[in-house]
Amino acid sequence: MERIDGYAPIREYALVGDGRTTALIARDGAVDWLCLPNVDSPSVFARVLDAERGGSFRLEPGVPYEAERRYQDNSNVLETTFTTAEGVVRVTDAMTLTDDDRLSPLRELCRKVEALSGTVPLRWSFDPRFGYGERRTELDRRAGRWFAHSGTECVALGAWNVGEITANGATVGGELRLREGDSALLELSAAHKEPAVLPSRDDVERRLAQTARFWPRWAGRIRYDGPWRDAVVRSVLALKLLVYAPSGAMVAAPTASFPEWIGGSRNWDYRLTWLRDASWALDALIRLGIDDEAHAFFWWFMHASRVTQPRLQILYKVDGSAHSKERELSELAGYRRSAPVRVGNGAADQVQLDVYGSVLDAIWLYVQDVGHVDGDTGKEIAKIADYVAEHWRERDSGIWEVRAETTHFTQSKALCWVALDRACKLAERGLIPDRTDRWSAAADEIRAFVDKQSWDAERNSYVRAPDLRELDASLLTMAILSYDDPAGERLRGTVAAVERELRQGPFVYRYRGEDGVGGEEGAFLTCSFWLVDALARQGRLDDARRLMDELVGLANDVGLYSEEIDPNSAEFLGNFPQGLTHLALVNAAHSIEDAQ
Amino acid sequence: MSLWGALAGGVVGTIVLTSGLRIAQELGWTRMDIPLLLGTVFTDDRSRASVIGYAVHFVNGLLFAVGYYAIFRAVDHAGWIFGAVLGVVHASFSGGALVTVLLPAVHPRMGTPWSDSEETPILEPPGFMLVNYGRRTAVWTLLVHVAYGAIVGGFAAHLS
Repeated sequence: MERIDGYAPIREYALVGDGRTTALIARDGAVDWLCLPNVDSPSVFARVLDAERGGSFRLEPGVPYEAERRYQDNSNVLETTFTTAEGVVRVTDAMTLTDDDRLSPLRELCRKVEALSGTVPLRWSFDPRFGYGERRTELDRRAGRWFAHSGTECVALGAWNVGEITANGATVGGELRLREGDSALLELSAAHKEPAVLPSRDDVERRLAQTARFWPRWAGRIRYDGPWRDAVVRSVLALKLLVYAPSGAMVAAPTASFPEWIGGSRNWDYRLTWLRDASWALDALIRLGIDDEAHAFFWWFMHASRVTQPRLQILYKVDGSAHSKERELSELAGYRRSAPVRVGNGAADQVQLDVYGSVLDAIWLYVQDVGHVDGDTGKEIAKIADYVAEHWRERDSGIWEVRAETTHFTQSKALCWVALDRACKLAERGLIPDRTDRWSAAADEIRAFVDKQSWDAERNSYVRAPDLRELDASLLTMAILSYDDPAGERLRGTVAAVERELRQGPFVYRYRGEDGVGGEEGAFLTCSFWLVDALARQGRLDDARRLMDELVGLANDVGLYSEEIDPNSAEFLGNFPQGLTHLALVNAAHSIEDAQ
Repeated sequence: MSLWGALAGGVVGTIVLTSGLRIAQELGWTRMDIPLLLGTVFTDDRSRASVIGYAVHFVNGLLFAVGYYAIFRAVDHAGWIFGAVLGVVHASFSGGALVTVLLPAVHPRMGTPWSDSEETPILEPPGFMLVNYGRRTAVWTLLVHVAYGAIVGGFAAHLS
């Protein structure tokens, strides 16, 4: 793996996590991204956003090497095997899970090194920089450990059998030689507003073993024996890492400001939860038998949105709060000089009407799974449907959160129809107050609007908006969410038009037109999987399978996908790993299985 | 001067002291977490430790109020200012000996110069005047103890 100006290709990262936060580890053994204590907290390691100032935790052979990685079977414990001319070592990385039996660190990252053959020289450095590298980090040595701290944040380094440790400024590190059969251990113990917990080596190793046992047990709940099983299981394991366990919310991605184009300005913080992902998530998780997480996510978004209901905000923080102020970190250079680096997300204030369709569809999926909702929740759902019936005529920013002028996005209107359709179904089952006359009438109006204003006879396709006569890959969701018969003439024409105008090999662009941001971007991987899904639903199974095969082959070496991809180089772009991409993969695999 | 007044002051003063330390945590000034420190004397479980720690802290607050009352009786004087002066002494004792030396000595999960983290996971020791938990911890500890002392002294003097 070659770094460019200190930056590893996004494709070269793997993810570990503990249900509270996650760490990105490059193939060369560097932990380049870790936010503490939670996934949306400021970073301690952010070398991905600034190779000089961001901070990292490096561990690699001191001689030339080849690196191979894998997750342990059905697990989120990562193994990197470094092969050198002098021998082979394996590094096992994991964020350990909560241990109720022993006092354990608030968050813990373990790095266990084992020499498998020969004698391998290794070097490591521990260089934490708090607050996205903006805050001063102090380093102390006490009680035989190194402590880096800033304000109420502290990380303590436990190191066993790593030889002499030296300090240089706020960085500590060292070199070691491990002989076959030797092992060493590095451990980061994080504290937040509390004294640090300093575990023994035995404790760390025991927690690491417990964590390694936990993951296959959890993955054993996945009910799926269809095609591309490995990719589906890996996707679900990746999605589990995106779930913030204390609330059940699922972040869109665990990273901020990974660029959608190298050197570009499309750099956004995705460490938030989009309600839009709700229906995709519930569909995927419920069908896979991951009911606990699906139900927790359902109740999280029903609870979080209570503050704004019947109006729904498009995104919320993982703790359920509705405010996410966007700001730029001017001191960070950005990934390969892709500036600005943004944290927080200003899209929170946008109106995006499609979110109502996603949420009502998610409610419908939940009800089909558990059979009921309580009376108060039913009343709230009916009020949301009323809101849609009243507001569907308004302009919005659409699913892609364009920062240009608002307009009447076709997909938004179609999803409003989906919202009202699901509300009628819920009312027909007696689960919510029955105002189907009103909702049906509004749904008919929406369909008339879409079919008349958004249809382009020349293209034989729906278009992005009545005033934007171009294609938009989000129109594929009209087939997936049953706005109409997917195999009907209009949706067949629309899918064909998307392929014609937005597809490049296995890659699909979101759109080609303006969106008010400027600059280029890659193809959107979710759209490729949506295309698979739509093709399967239209009965074009061979096309769907062929495309799915190609897409599964595009994952990185540990089965993860980013948000976007450069169609020319297959370089990953955008935040990583991207939950929506993995959800779309799972749902596409299901659709093909259903259609077979 | 009244014992009940001192005890009432102990309750209010402990609430103020605890809240003051929580505010300091939220403001990013200290990692001092008294409930966790006290609760982990009894259990490894973090959630239970916090609950137990709060209870122990309140009991301690009342016991110290009784101690303050004994001093008030001995010198036959109580008041806001005298209480605040005792608060300075109390803070110095807490930061210099109680939490720094005595608590680690009896705390089964706190590091001392003679303990070994290879035997048990240990809590980061507070260090002299609690500076390991943040440099401003000592200042904030002094302020909240002065507030505690003033409240106990004032309540003892003015409530009957």
